[in-house]
Amino acid sequence: MKLAKYVKFREEKFGGVLFETRSEKVYTLNPTATAVVREIQAGSDEGSIPARLKERFHDTGEAIEREAIAFLAELRQKGLVED
Amino acid sequence: MATPAGDPAAQIPATTPAATESGDLGAPLYIAWQVTNECNLACLHCIEESGPGKAFHDELDHEQASRFLEQVIDLEVPYLSFSGGEPMVHPRFFEMVEYVCSRNGQVKIETNGHYLTPENCARLKALGVKAVQVSLDGATRETFNRMRVRGDFDLCVDGVRNLRAAGVPIEINYSPTRFNAHEIGAAVDLAAQLGAYSFYTGRTMYTGNAVKTWHRMAPEEAQYGPFFETLHRKTEEYRGSMRVYFHEMGLLEELRYRLHHPAALLIVLPNGLVKLINALPFVCGDLRRQSLGEIWGRFQTAWQDPRVARFVDDLAVDPRKTATLHQWVYL
Repeated sequence: MKLAKYVKFREEKFGGVLFETRSEKVYTLNPTATAVVREIQAGSDEGSIPARLKERFHDTGEAIEREAIAFLAELRQKGLVED
Repeated sequence: MATPAGDPAAQIPATTPAATESGDLGAPLYIAWQVTNECNLACLHCIEESGPGKAFHDELDHEQASRFLEQVIDLEVPYLSFSGGEPMVHPRFFEMVEYVCSRNGQVKIETNGHYLTPENCARLKALGVKAVQVSLDGATRETFNRMRVRGDFDLCVDGVRNLRAAGVPIEINYSPTRFNAHEIGAAVDLAAQLGAYSFYTGRTMYTGNAVKTWHRMAPEEAQYGPFFETLHRKTEEYRGSMRVYFHEMGLLEELRYRLHHPAALLIVLPNGLVKLINALPFVCGDLRRQSLGEIWGRFQTAWQDPRVARFVDDLAVDPRKTATLHQWVYL
């Protein structure tokens, strides 16, 4: 999985922004979503990303994993990532 | 770690990058660079008063332009448009496009379409430009050539066809006048037929060359009704195959909104001055003297300058104040 051809990512103090230059839509990302995009850029396997984030953020519950899974699905649904 | 509830990728309601608020962003999301004021055409409505021999005497030189582009890349500005004037008449046009594209920047070219030879289109494709936006203000050569003084409808349409053949994504821009507004439906159809993926239009602005030609060029207010009705219909007709964007809102409403929600967009003039927005005369920086980062820092506070709000208030009383947009006011 990687960011789609026309998608640009930039880190910001609040998290990050994804800019889809073809549809000209901008998405602001919170820290969890930003961490997901960093993992994608680093080439992490999609299936491993939620667990990696859970570990990185020392989350003892399931909130981070759920959020990461939902965000990954949203990235796919919006065409912001490709295989 | 903060774990905000709800949609982790909260979409800002935006139809264009210019609609995205600058807020806490560390740099602009979009820079619209008017590369030169020189143009091969002398269009009746040109808001920049571009034309043959109209290059500014103090346009950015090679070194200044290079330094500006380096900063665009360093600040990770994701999207840069080259406009003018006619950007393709700039002697270093391809060199500059290549510089940005080769550093992972996304470039859009806004052109009158008269230099889109098969060779140039192939070159743009090879460089990886994100899109080329062509001004095609008419569905017939009669209306197009009347508006685009020195222009050639057939050459422009051939240029768009060359883009398509080369595989370059195409956008079409259309400015309404009293003698082409009725062609809007046919113009949208033509854009779709030529393979465009976006079509942009809106109200023609009273500034630049339009100030001198307004009496013979400006659409009657009554023409805008059917104009926008057609666009609503065409938006539905082409949904899924071509996006039809149009700004029905008048300039005043747009500016009143912007006073409180500045866009993450910088307008860079050919001489390196940076404007708050094209439709205001206010300048918030000069790339010949300040860095892009510094200017971005000034941008937010410049919008709060009382002179900006006063100008917008005055526009409500006298809409023809837009005639003064080229009399720059330094904030």
